[in-house]
Amino acid sequence: MERRARRLCSGYFAVVATLWSCCLAAADWDASLDLRLVNSDADRSYLDGGLGLTRFDRDDSPLQLGRARFALTQNLGEIWSAHLDASVWDDRDAHPLGLTEAYLQLRPYPSDGYRLRVKAGAFYPPVSLENRASGWESPYTLSYSAINSWLATEVRTIGAEAQLEWLGTRTGHAFDFGLTGAVFGWNEQAGAVLAGDGFVFTDRQTPLGGRVGQPGDPPLNGVKPFLQIDSRPGAYAGVEARYLDRLVVRVLRYDNRADPTAVDSVAGVVAWHTSFTSVGARLETQSGWTLIGQWLDGRTAIDPHGFASAWPFRSGFGLVSRRFGRHVLSARYDRFRVDAQGSEDDGAQSGHAVTVAYAFNASEHWRVSLEWLRVVSDSYTRQELYALPPWATQTQVQLALRYTLGSTNPQR
Amino acid sequence: MRPPARLNRPFPLRRATAAALLLVMGLGGELRAGTLVIHVLTVDGHNLTGAVVTARPLDGPARHAPAQHAIMDQVNRAFEPDLLVIPVGSSIEFPNSDSVSHQIYSFSAVKRFQLPLYRGKPYPPVLFEQAGVVTLGCNIHDEMLAYVLVTDAPYFGRTDAGGVWSAEVARGQYRVVIWHPRLRDEGADLERVLTVNESDRAELTLRLVKQLQPAQLADRPHSWDY
Repeated sequence: MERRARRLCSGYFAVVATLWSCCLAAADWDASLDLRLVNSDADRSYLDGGLGLTRFDRDDSPLQLGRARFALTQNLGEIWSAHLDASVWDDRDAHPLGLTEAYLQLRPYPSDGYRLRVKAGAFYPPVSLENRASGWESPYTLSYSAINSWLATEVRTIGAEAQLEWLGTRTGHAFDFGLTGAVFGWNEQAGAVLAGDGFVFTDRQTPLGGRVGQPGDPPLNGVKPFLQIDSRPGAYAGVEARYLDRLVVRVLRYDNRADPTAVDSVAGVVAWHTSFTSVGARLETQSGWTLIGQWLDGRTAIDPHGFASAWPFRSGFGLVSRRFGRHVLSARYDRFRVDAQGSEDDGAQSGHAVTVAYAFNASEHWRVSLEWLRVVSDSYTRQELYALPPWATQTQVQLALRYTLGSTNPQR
Repeated sequence: MRPPARLNRPFPLRRATAAALLLVMGLGGELRAGTLVIHVLTVDGHNLTGAVVTARPLDGPARHAPAQHAIMDQVNRAFEPDLLVIPVGSSIEFPNSDSVSHQIYSFSAVKRFQLPLYRGKPYPPVLFEQAGVVTLGCNIHDEMLAYVLVTDAPYFGRTDAGGVWSAEVARGQYRVVIWHPRLRDEGADLERVLTVNESDRAELTLRLVKQLQPAQLADRPHSWDY
C-alpha cells in the first residue's frame, strides 16, 4: 500500500515536472524577488488594521519582503495567449500567495490599419500611465501615486475588455488612436477602502480574493474588494491617443453600476456603487525626461436600508523623471481628497504627498532603489475613531534590492 | 462583335523606332558612365544619414536592379536592420535571434503578410514583388517598427554619415527621389531631375523643407508599456 502510494506520488511528480518543464520551455516567464530596508514613522498601516497611509509603519521590522513574483505568458496557438501574475507580499492576508492578474488575450494580427484586442479574466483597467513595468510596477518610484495605489488596492476588471486601435504610425501618420470598452463584475466593494481610510500610498496589490486591513479592525475590517453583491455588471469606456512613441493621452469613464441598496446579509457586506473619470498624459523626450500627469474624479455610495451615504473623491499627481543611462531619478507630487455626504464627516480625508526616488539598474538582473515618501493628511476617522489629532505627517524611507530572472530579460 | 479599338490600330512604327533608338542610346550611355552624387540636408542644414535615394533614367528603359536576398533579424526586441532597400523581386529572410517569440506583420498594400517567429524555428523568406514602402510591426511588441523600401529603380542606396550617396550611372537624364521613414516633406520637395552629361559628374544637394519627425526613443527598456 505504502509502495503503491509512493509510486503514485512519484508518478504524479514526474507528470507535474514534465508538464512544468514543457510549459516553461514554450512560455515566456519572469520571476523577481524584492527585499526592503524600511524606516517609517507612520501609524499602524492600513494593511495591519490601522490608519497609517503607508504600506509600512513604525512597528514594522526594518527588513521586509517587498514582493516575490512569478509571471507566465503562454501562447496558445498564434493569436491566443494566457497570462498569470502571482505574488507574495507578506501582508497578513488569508493566503500568502495570490494572483494579481490572470487573463486570456485574443490578439489577431492588425489588418488595414486597425487592430482588435480582447482580454477576458482579471486585469487592470487602462488607467495608469505610471505602472508600465512588468507586474504592473512603476519604474519610477517604489510606492505608487494615490490614484494608482487605490487601483492596486481596490480596482480590477474581472470580465472582458475589447480594444480597437487605429495604427496611424504604421500607415505613415504620426498618431495612433484607440477605443476601449469593458464589461465586468466582482468589483462591488471598490470604494470601501477610500471611504474608510481614504487614499493610501502603497505598492501592495490586492490579490484576487484577497483582503485589505485585518478582520475585526475597523474601519476596514479586512474588506474583500473583489465581490459581486447584485446582478448588475459594471462597465467602462475609454479613449487613447498617441503621438508617435512620445505622448500618450488617456481618458476613461468607469462605473461598477452596483446597486447601493443591495446587501449580502450572509457575507455581511453592502454593495458600493463606485464611478470615476480618469484623465492622464505621459510625455517622454529623447533626452530621457518623462512627465506624467493623472487626474481622477469619482464618487462611491452605499444606501443599505435607507441609510444613504456617499463619498466623492478626487486625486491628481504630477511626476517628473529623468533617465541617465542606468540611473532613474524621479519626483512626484500628489494631492487627494475624499468628502463625506450623508454620514456627517465620517471618512472625510484630504492631503498631499511628496515622493522622491532613485533607481539604479545595475545589470539586467539587479536593481537598487531608494525612496523617500512624505504624506501629510487630515482625516476625520483618525480623530473620531482613535481620538488622535486629525492632521498627521507620515514619512517612509525604503531601500529596495531586487533580483529579476526570466526568459524575457524583463528589466531591459 | 467589334474588336477592341486598341487591337484594330496598326503597330506604331514610329514608336518602335524610337524605342530601338533609345535602347541603343542607353547601351551606348552605359559604356560612357558618369557619376551621380546626391547630398541630402535636413531643414537645419545638417547632413541626413540613412536617407534612401533612388534614381530612374527618364530617357532609357527602366530596368530594375537584380533581385537580392536580404536578412532582417530580430535582436533584443528590435528589427535589425530597421530599414532595408531592395529591388523588386527580392526576398527577405526574417530570423529571430531573441529568446522571445515575435509575430511580425505588414498590412501595407505593397506586401501584406503575417509571420510568427518562434524560438529556433526558421521560416521561408518573404518575396517582395511590388515597388513601394512596406511598414513592419510586431503583434506582440508594439514598439517594434521597421521599413522595407522595394524599388524598381536601377540605381539606389542610402546616404552615408556625410549625407551623401553616389553611384556610377549611364549617361542620361534621371529622376532622383529621396525617402526617409521620418520625412514630413511630400511629393515635389523630394524629387529632382538631373542630367549626367559629358562632364561625367552630376551633383545635387537636396535640402528638406520640413523638420523630420522625432526619432524613436532610444534606450527605453523594452519591458515598459509602450
